[in-house]
Amino acid sequence: MPTNLFYRGYTIFFGLIIASISFAKDSPFRPETGTFPPLAKAHSYQGELTFVDHANRRGSIRIDGDGRFRFAAPSPFALLPYGLVRYHGSPADLRDIPLGTVMHVKAFLPPNPKISAVPVLPTDNRLKKYGNAGTGVAPAENHIYLLEDEPSHCKHLGLVWKLQEVDLKENAGMIIARRESKTGKGQVHLETFSVNTTTRFWRGRERLGITDLINEKIWPRNGKKDLNDQTVFIGITWKPTPGGVFKRFHLSEVWLDELAMERAAQIQNETHKAFIRSRWMPGWVDKVEYGKFGQAKVIVTLFGGMDDSLYADFKKGQKAMLASSENTLKHWAGGTAGTAQMASKGILLEVLKTNKRVPQGSSGIQVSLETDLVTEGFRPGKVIRIRPENWPLLEVPREEYIHHNTDGIEKRFPTPDIFPKN
Amino acid sequence: MESILLKLNFARWAAALHLVLFILVSNARSEEEPFRPESGKFPPLEKAHSYRGELVFVDHANRRGSIRIQGEGMYFRNKPHPFAMLPYGIIRYHNAPAQLRDIPLGTVLHVRAFLPPDPKLSAVPVLPINNRNKTAGYSGKGIAPAENHVILLEDEASHCLREGKVWELKEVNIKDGAGKIIARRESKNSGTKAEEETLTFDAATRIWRGLEKLQVADLVHEGTWPESGKKSLKDQAVLLGITWRPTPDGVFTRFHVSDVWLDDVSIQRAARNQTETHKAFIRSRWMPGWVDAVEYGKFGTATVTATLFGGMDDSLYADFKKDVSAMMNPVENTLKHTHGAYGPRHMASRGPILEVKKLEGKAPLGSSGIQVTFKTDLILEGIRPGRVVRICPGSWPQVQIPREEYLGGNKPEERFPTPDIFPKY
Repeated sequence: MPTNLFYRGYTIFFGLIIASISFAKDSPFRPETGTFPPLAKAHSYQGELTFVDHANRRGSIRIDGDGRFRFAAPSPFALLPYGLVRYHGSPADLRDIPLGTVMHVKAFLPPNPKISAVPVLPTDNRLKKYGNAGTGVAPAENHIYLLEDEPSHCKHLGLVWKLQEVDLKENAGMIIARRESKTGKGQVHLETFSVNTTTRFWRGRERLGITDLINEKIWPRNGKKDLNDQTVFIGITWKPTPGGVFKRFHLSEVWLDELAMERAAQIQNETHKAFIRSRWMPGWVDKVEYGKFGQAKVIVTLFGGMDDSLYADFKKGQKAMLASSENTLKHWAGGTAGTAQMASKGILLEVLKTNKRVPQGSSGIQVSLETDLVTEGFRPGKVIRIRPENWPLLEVPREEYIHHNTDGIEKRFPTPDIFPKN
Repeated sequence: MESILLKLNFARWAAALHLVLFILVSNARSEEEPFRPESGKFPPLEKAHSYRGELVFVDHANRRGSIRIQGEGMYFRNKPHPFAMLPYGIIRYHNAPAQLRDIPLGTVLHVRAFLPPDPKLSAVPVLPINNRNKTAGYSGKGIAPAENHVILLEDEASHCLREGKVWELKEVNIKDGAGKIIARRESKNSGTKAEEETLTFDAATRIWRGLEKLQVADLVHEGTWPESGKKSLKDQAVLLGITWRPTPDGVFTRFHVSDVWLDDVSIQRAARNQTETHKAFIRSRWMPGWVDAVEYGKFGTATVTATLFGGMDDSLYADFKKDVSAMMNPVENTLKHTHGAYGPRHMASRGPILEVKKLEGKAPLGSSGIQVTFKTDLILEGIRPGRVVRICPGSWPQVQIPREEYLGGNKPEERFPTPDIFPKY
């Protein structure tokens, strides 16, 4: 008996040490202005997108903690100005992601808590237990660096899902699958998902339903079938689960081959390219060299994660427009002529691409613009948007800009008041 | 010289014609009086104010959001206009029942709406009754009607199929995988031709044909559409999904084609998928309806007569059968369950369904026309005539809903969400 007690105490003691070491390794990190934070310092979690305020680049996620998923209240998040969203393996905006999609998150503490657009929580909040929801459901790391859906996450990390077995009854049932590295090395994650008539299957150009697979005798009408480790990409969502199961995710989509996945990525990429061309490329100011009578040379770094063709449009000697923006990436607009009216116009003196490995969030591309009328918002560390001349000149909708005299401070720095307090 | 005079004369005639048209339009507008629905009555659809616009914000847990309404002026300037779904309000997407969460932001929707039934409890801003006639700068008139409580919200495909309309594609003009389509939304039964509309499309436009999901590049590759330049599409009948994007060249209102369904099979398959999504949703959240009558018995027993709300798939209504067991919960106008920490069933009144009656005549929009009579030995406070309930037949799965979809306590702001969430521009 005393030996038993000794071993128990020993185990608890060393367990606590290991836990604190791993927590210290993954200790909360607050990004600094003007520096892209290291991805390795980000806190990781996953959850279901439950709310989106796309105009302010924020929303809520129900985070998968260590308790009962459905008890977890939606946890508000804000995207960092250089934060990336990826959907179907391509760059995306928050508006592109359907509510209910399960997303992977890499996030930090708010860079500046005073102007956080979402509630600021105690830095150790990731360890707080929220009743039946458990711990980990409301981390203070709610400023997102990388937000990606399951296929994007798998592509990014070189992972695939392998379908092991399906068990069906009346066009619905369960699938056992495992996520592993394409190379077959590394960790293997085994999971059971629900599947039903709402699940979309993509094969080449085709969109199929579960009944199509059954009619083709690929899947059984009833009962189990071995799926022989069929390699797929999957889209994941969550639905309330019966039978006392507190957490089980649901397959919203299955891409049965590479072609199907590529076509989905292509459509999302085109959507995002059109979006960025109309809203301009975001970046931040590295340096301003002031000249005389309002003339200045502004050196900016373009944010990363976009399609290469967008960056290729920035060419030396070309005309461009540069506009101050906010952390929400909202434009400023004045008068009646939209965003172009408030922009500084000039020539791209230089476009430099670094050969070094760049941190996520940065494109590694630095452009210098010479303008004869520099505006107040171009200060080192401040966010801007820049448009090369060959992009269409458009007027963005009302909720996506801040009007210089009709909008108050709350439009520049949205408060967390819209989020319900649970 | 003579031609200048002719032109001036023509300009006068044109001005006079515009004035006459303006008067006719204003008269038509004044005839359409604002209508406020009454508690316990499904309002007549013909009294609803109609408009359309782009979905720009969604608070699905409270069944509300914002739409940028197409008015008379420059579309891009229009502020998002908050709306709330009436408890019996119907949403349709891809010609199937839907929830707000199913509709992608940016989708252009057709709206039929009324004044707030009870302005004191409105979850969205209450506006002056004549606000639909207010001119808002460059946005023009009609972008912020007081009729912001929606009875019917439907996407373009659902709207066309409900009204017996179809889009006829006249001409495509393409360059570098993007371009414009000239099309007309025609009534299948009308002899008169509708006005032509120019819509944009691009490489992200989805084209559905049978089982296939195609892109513009596929149609070009097949030779169906030209690689560059114009081609007559010979009034090809299709259904469209419509969205909006900022437009270049000083064009202030032009919509964008997000989806094209080239044949019946493709839209039927989309509808089937959406129907299944909605069926699973209703089975897990229970069928909404309202209470018509309560006959109280002794020691907490009562017989409750309720009308089920309409617009769902028939198979859901078919699960309500005489003598099956059921559960009934009072819910709010947002259709949120109360006290769901242990799941909706924890607080529900239980008992058998004594009768299922199909009411005579055509049911008004919002009603299923199905009335169920339910007997319970423990009646709850919230089950009162005119109040909204959710009811679940015994054959539906018992699940626990997520945190934002039930009331966690007695906080009035959870029961009656305030309009504070909506930004003021």
